[in-house]
Amino acid sequence: MAAAESSLASPMCNLAILDSLNKNSVGEMTDSWNAFCLATENLLGGGGELSLDPNFVSDVRNLCSRGLESLIVEHFLCSVEETFEKNGASRFWKHFGVYRDSAILDMEDPDQQSAMQDILHKALEEIISEKQYQEKCLLMLVHALEMCRGSKSEEQTYLKTERNYLFSKYQLTTASVLMASIPRQFPDVLRWYFKGRLEELSAMMARGSENDSELHEDDGMDLDCKTAEMDIDGTHHHKSTLGNSKLVRNIGVVVRDLRGLGLTSIAEDAYASAIFLLLKAKVHELAGDEFRFSVLESIKGWIQAVPLQFLHALLAYLGESKSYESPSSGLKSPLASHLSFTHHGTGIPSEGLVRWQLRLEYFAYETLQDLRIAKLFEIIVDYPDSSPAIEDLKLCLEYTGQHSKLVESFIAALKYRLLTAGASTNDILHQYVSTIKALRTIDPAGVFLEAVGEPIREYLRGRKDTIKCIVTMLTDGAGGNPSGPGSTGDSLLEELNRDEENQENSSLDDDANTDDKQAWINAQSWEPDPVEADPLKGGRYRRKVDILGMIVSIIGSKDQLVNEYRVMLAEKLLNKSDYDIDSEIRTLELLKIHFGESSMQKCEIMLNDLIDSKRTNTNIKATLKLQPQPVADVGEHELSLDNLNATIISSNFWPPIQDEALIIPGPVDRLLSDYAKRFNEIKTPRKLLWKKNLGTVKLELQFEDRTLQFSVTPLHASIISQFEDQTSWTSKNLAAAVGVPVDVLNRRIYFWINKGILAESIQESGDHKFTLVEALVESGKTGANTGSCEELLVGDEEGETSVASVEDQLRKEMTVYEKFITGMLTNFGSMALDRIHNTLKMFCIGDPPYDKSLQQLQGFLTGLVAEEKLELRDGMYFLKK
Amino acid sequence: CRAQENESQDSTWHAVASWTWDAQDETCGICRMAFDGCCPDCKLPGDDCPLIWGSCNHAFHLHCILKWVNSQTPQAHCPMCRREWQFKG
Ligand SMILES: [Zn+2]
Ligand SMILES: [Zn+2]
Ligand SMILES: [Zn+2]
Repeated sequence: MAAAESSLASPMCNLAILDSLNKNSVGEMTDSWNAFCLATENLLGGGGELSLDPNFVSDVRNLCSRGLESLIVEHFLCSVEETFEKNGASRFWKHFGVYRDSAILDMEDPDQQSAMQDILHKALEEIISEKQYQEKCLLMLVHALEMCRGSKSEEQTYLKTERNYLFSKYQLTTASVLMASIPRQFPDVLRWYFKGRLEELSAMMARGSENDSELHEDDGMDLDCKTAEMDIDGTHHHKSTLGNSKLVRNIGVVVRDLRGLGLTSIAEDAYASAIFLLLKAKVHELAGDEFRFSVLESIKGWIQAVPLQFLHALLAYLGESKSYESPSSGLKSPLASHLSFTHHGTGIPSEGLVRWQLRLEYFAYETLQDLRIAKLFEIIVDYPDSSPAIEDLKLCLEYTGQHSKLVESFIAALKYRLLTAGASTNDILHQYVSTIKALRTIDPAGVFLEAVGEPIREYLRGRKDTIKCIVTMLTDGAGGNPSGPGSTGDSLLEELNRDEENQENSSLDDDANTDDKQAWINAQSWEPDPVEADPLKGGRYRRKVDILGMIVSIIGSKDQLVNEYRVMLAEKLLNKSDYDIDSEIRTLELLKIHFGESSMQKCEIMLNDLIDSKRTNTNIKATLKLQPQPVADVGEHELSLDNLNATIISSNFWPPIQDEALIIPGPVDRLLSDYAKRFNEIKTPRKLLWKKNLGTVKLELQFEDRTLQFSVTPLHASIISQFEDQTSWTSKNLAAAVGVPVDVLNRRIYFWINKGILAESIQESGDHKFTLVEALVESGKTGANTGSCEELLVGDEEGETSVASVEDQLRKEMTVYEKFITGMLTNFGSMALDRIHNTLKMFCIGDPPYDKSLQQLQGFLTGLVAEEKLELRDGMYFLKK
Repeated sequence: CRAQENESQDSTWHAVASWTWDAQDETCGICRMAFDGCCPDCKLPGDDCPLIWGSCNHAFHLHCILKWVNSQTPQAHCPMCRREWQFKG
């Protein structure tokens, strides 16, 4: 016998015994051995029937007396292993052969589910009973060995440890046999099993809580009540129901059996992953694309209600049923300490359960956080309606600390969704402001905002209309984004101001921490800047996110913003014909608060000019009564000073005005002279200088059947008035008549052609000819029919402004450097913005010295790129070839 | 003729002008600020910061020349031409 030989050679044998062997005793020994082997074989293969050869004990004793005890044990264990492999493991795994191709399984199908459940139960039952039988066999060997030993007490105790050793050896053997032959799909099968059971349980709990809420209809937060109940006094509502439920018991049996087989970690992995899977699905289901409600509490409630209940019941069951387990289950799972749920009835959650709760909550926080981060762009679009989602995200991030995930993901979304050629500058700005508003909840110190905002700012700096859009957004309530927050017609400035007032009312001034209480509050709320913080940018604790500051930082300096505002204000004021500047005054007050009074000085004078103009205008009209107008020439259309109003500006404080020559109709021109004379009389020695191309003319055109009203520029009015006496003009003659270049005339006259008042034809000479479409009614024959009026406002035309824009001004100032820049690029090939800026600073110190900001230079270069003079690639400027 | 006036009643012309002191120089010889601006002590130009001419025909911001005159006791001279300063009547 190979086994015998190898064992004989082992050092465990007492070699001295070999010396005393004689032929007789060898024969006797061989007989006993053969009999023992046969008996073992019969015993193990007994097919469940425990039949022991009566001579077994004497054979064992015989062999033991010859010092072959270890050989016996060895052989017995080998036989057991062989039998377990054949009758236990291979049969067990065969049950799961149908799931070899796990892809074909549809675990949502209840029939398949229950079939699989049956198979698992049956297979476990079978293998457990086989194992229990073998353990009984093992116990028999132990008894036989015990009988060989006398009754010496020290040998008895020796036997006890030996017995434990034997059983744990057996346990290890079976476990390793199973593990060695485990089919690939088994963990999946288990996962499906637990997933199915948990879903069943979840549905059961949902039904349960429905019943509960039926019972206590008044308290809307039954989930919270229940968890509170458990936390406080431990008398958990569902514990008994769940603990006794057949479902949990079945699951418990499966887990217990798997543990008995040494498959503890596979079982735990399987139900843990099923729980996490279910939790993930639940988080997705509860959170979804709904941003208007907080879901964190209901998720936590669900964790308490379902997975923790399940674990609670499962651990309780396993704890109770320990005694039923095979007596040899001395093997402790690595998670055993987690699972030592023994305080059943005391209601104190075990350490294991608490750990599970922490794991599950962390997982839920992380899942929800990832979900929200992935949709952060949409959430911010919906802000402030979506603030509950932001609030949830804030709590999640506080728990996980994964703020950098947010920064990365959101920047990627911004670049993909927002910072594209298709998005309007206005949209980008509004999203920027919403981003600041939303993220300052999560990030009151503005540390991540700094990182998230930078790509937006960088992108906006490359756009020409950025400053204009910013100023409009800040100062114009009506023109803003209607979907934007607070779209009650408030400007952003108005809104910021209101926020600030609210903050001031609700909290003490940060800087005035002179009293101890405030100092203490500040000290308590101190938090170190997170790692992402740039130490140069942060640092001051309790730094408030300054929305306006973040907007100004797009432009670079507040001076540029103020300058742009001044240009826009000038344009607006010059087109006013009613002196109504209430909203401009309000805006100026707000701007003064934020940018300082001295920055707004010029704007203030501009507004004051309007107020003065109104007063002066009234005074001049008043002089009429004392000193009537001279009678106008006969035959001319008569106009009185009542038809003239004027805005009188202090031009030194206004941005440069586009002063273009224009010949206005004679009667109007005479009125202007009269007006100027009267001004000079009351304001001696001050004089008026008319800017005849500026202002607004409201006029009425009367036709046979209708009267049309227009509000147009003086040039348009001058053009159309020429047609009162002569219905057809060549562009050359008309241009001369109104005193503008032909190309300007041809461009501006389109207004009247578009309105269908004039028609254009091209003569053989190539000259354009304009003709009145419909005869204007002689004023004397005016009918009463003024029913249909058309009010058309000035500014219908694009690009016609009274004030030189900031870009135009800058352009004018920068053109001096254009040659220089071209020269540099010819020499160096390509240059980055910084380098061009520095080179200009270094070399252009003459007249005029280069004093522009980096942003201004960038704006100018962007213009040159648009004109296709330069090219911008990867941050480098090239000459366009 | 009356009908013509009726016709024009609804048409109004809102014009734009700038004012000027119409001084010979651009800037005040004392503060070097534009005449059509205001002196360093004022915030608003125009009526609030008027010009004044001396008998020598030199003009200054009223506030500027008053300060000058007060500092030059007993007799002030025109900062431009050194003639005795007299306000132009
Ligand atoms: Zn002065
Ligand atoms: Zn003054
Ligand atoms: Zn003088």
